Amino acid sequence: MNRVGLQYLAGDLSGGNARCIAMLQAFQEAIRDYSTPPEKTLTRDLTSKIGGFVSFLIECRPLSMSMGNAIRFLKSRIARLPLTLSESEAKTTLCSDIDRFINEKIVLADKVILRHAATKIRDGDVLLTYGSSCVVEMILLYAHELGKQFRVVVVDSHPMLEGQKLLRRLVVKGLSCTYTQLNAISYVMHKVTRVFLGASSIFSNGTVYSTVGTASVAMVAHAFRVPVLVCCEAYKFHERVQLDSICFNELGDPDAISKVPGRVDVNYLDNLTDKQKENLELLNLKYDATPSDYISVIVTDYGMIPPTSVPVIVRGYRKEYLLI
Amino acid sequence: MPDTQALVNDFLNKLKKRKIEGSQATAKQTAELLRSVISQTRMPYTNQASALIHSVKAVGERLIAANPVELAVGNVVRRVLHIIREEDLSLTTAAMAGLNLSAESDDEDDTDRDNHPALSAAAIAAASRSTLRPPSLQTLLEDVPDSAAVPHTSSSGGDSEGKSKSADKSSRSRKLKHDVIEAVNELIQDISTCRELIAEQAVEHIHQNEVILTLGSSRTVLEFLCAAKEKKRSFRVFVAEGAPRYQGHLLAKELVTRGLQTTLITDSAVFAMISRVNMVIVGAHAVMANGGVIAPVGLNMVALAAQKHAVPFVVLAGSHKLCPLYPHHPEVLLNELRSPSELLDFGEFSDCLDFGSGIGAPLLHVVNPTFDYVPPKLRRA
Repeated sequence: MNRVGLQYLAGDLSGGNARCIAMLQAFQEAIRDYSTPPEKTLTRDLTSKIGGFVSFLIECRPLSMSMGNAIRFLKSRIARLPLTLSESEAKTTLCSDIDRFINEKIVLADKVILRHAATKIRDGDVLLTYGSSCVVEMILLYAHELGKQFRVVVVDSHPMLEGQKLLRRLVVKGLSCTYTQLNAISYVMHKVTRVFLGASSIFSNGTVYSTVGTASVAMVAHAFRVPVLVCCEAYKFHERVQLDSICFNELGDPDAISKVPGRVDVNYLDNLTDKQKENLELLNLKYDATPSDYISVIVTDYGMIPPTSVPVIVRGYRKEYLLI
Repeated sequence: MPDTQALVNDFLNKLKKRKIEGSQATAKQTAELLRSVISQTRMPYTNQASALIHSVKAVGERLIAANPVELAVGNVVRRVLHIIREEDLSLTTAAMAGLNLSAESDDEDDTDRDNHPALSAAAIAAASRSTLRPPSLQTLLEDVPDSAAVPHTSSSGGDSEGKSKSADKSSRSRKLKHDVIEAVNELIQDISTCRELIAEQAVEHIHQNEVILTLGSSRTVLEFLCAAKEKKRSFRVFVAEGAPRYQGHLLAKELVTRGLQTTLITDSAVFAMISRVNMVIVGAHAVMANGGVIAPVGLNMVALAAQKHAVPFVVLAGSHKLCPLYPHHPEVLLNELRSPSELLDFGEFSDCLDFGSGIGAPLLHVVNPTFDYVPPKLRRA
């Protein structure tokens, strides 16, 4: 558990799915190592233990929406454990539940999304993606394996510069790519035929909550009449409604803005006097909310749905997955 | 002449190598260069104005070709040409008025009376022919040099009149040069002081407790905001950093030094923050005839976001940035791509730069444009 927390803190683990899977696997380990103290019931004690772990993780880095959903799932499973089970049986049931969750909701879901999304890619397409989303990367590689001829435009932004990692992985596999920064997006959007974006979560009013800058990409794509496809597993949907990006967000490290990796000439903000420092604030947002009108279709494991159908999935299928 | 040639070549080199930063500096140097070209042009007796225009045009075309993206050069050349035409026109109208007066004052002498109306008519005709006519289809197709026609009519007036007219004309030519150079000096003055004039209007636009967003760094915007601060308006500024040149860092530093509350945000956060902003103020590289703006890269994105949230988008530009051309495919034709090393480190990505399997074309392209085009409908003022 400590190891995972430290990985979050260091930023080694990033991306909704990766963090979620790592967290669930850490919970599995914790459950296997757990033994009920005397005079306490398994369910209550385990739940409070899990709560303790979660607070530790929050200290390292605030939870993403997908992790929140996964934790709720786990707590509800623990609560539903029949009291007749012995401790070891309870533990194995829980571990296998977690395995099934990971398998069905993440791994298999991704496979279904790949198949759906690949039908939307035609030969000669120019696809644009922003930042680094594992689902979008899988889609691009899968379509390339299927033999489709297309080009990729990877758009990146400071300070995370995640696009560079994605770029490297794509070029190694032989896809022809163009790399640019977010500011140049009006310049490249003329040639782009489709935009593929990943999401951290999707809210009930269809708003997509994703890496900061996604909203700008979707807006410019909409202005140029380019279809925007958001690829997101259904377990990330959330019944909240968020109107803009400021009400609920995560702040990153402010010093990351002043440092530019690899460019020594950009050091304007070193050596500030105190007077300067008291007037200057550095704001490093991690997420932003894209309004649903910029999105053409959401590709999930339940199929390809318009943004207005998100509450249907949240209400209707949520019951099903809690019962599994 | 050799002096000016050396100056012109020097300036051309600077333009080609993009050594001059900023349209104000470019405009000023262009105007000064043209002033020295004008003062060194040798003026023939007749049609001085077209000689001036010819020499200015020749230099101007070379300057524009050296750096077609720097529109301020073309703007200044056109304004100088306009000055020449205007001064010439005002001089000829003054001269014609003068001639009329001198014709009327001699009406006591009977013997001359018959000649005078004819003379004055001939003189007026000569004067009007020597003025520049705006190019009409007829003149373009005829291609008759004006100077050939004029001495023909003036010789009919007789020697004394011819002499007085030539004296008249040489004084006119000196006066023309003098006037043109004065007007060009005024132009240079205008270019230098444009920022102060813009900044004076700052107080009308910025109210108390406003939040202003800007991207990258523009000296005009800096002076605008500081002028408002001088007048004791308190407001906050969000500065977007403007990758990949990160000029926003510079602007933020300047603003905090002058005591303004500043927040530095990433470009990606612009959409997130714009709902909390009252006004977007940016500088421009050039303003086209249809109202569209050539601005540093990223501003089209900001303009779209501002339109979506109904935030006023204000562009500050000096008069040397106003261009009479219409933009045709401005993203490509009026744009420049900068070095990709600003985006990607060559060393890190050297393995990706290997040419792809058998196709021979490089797999990786990096795009780093300098400018963005903002269409007129996104701009409020």
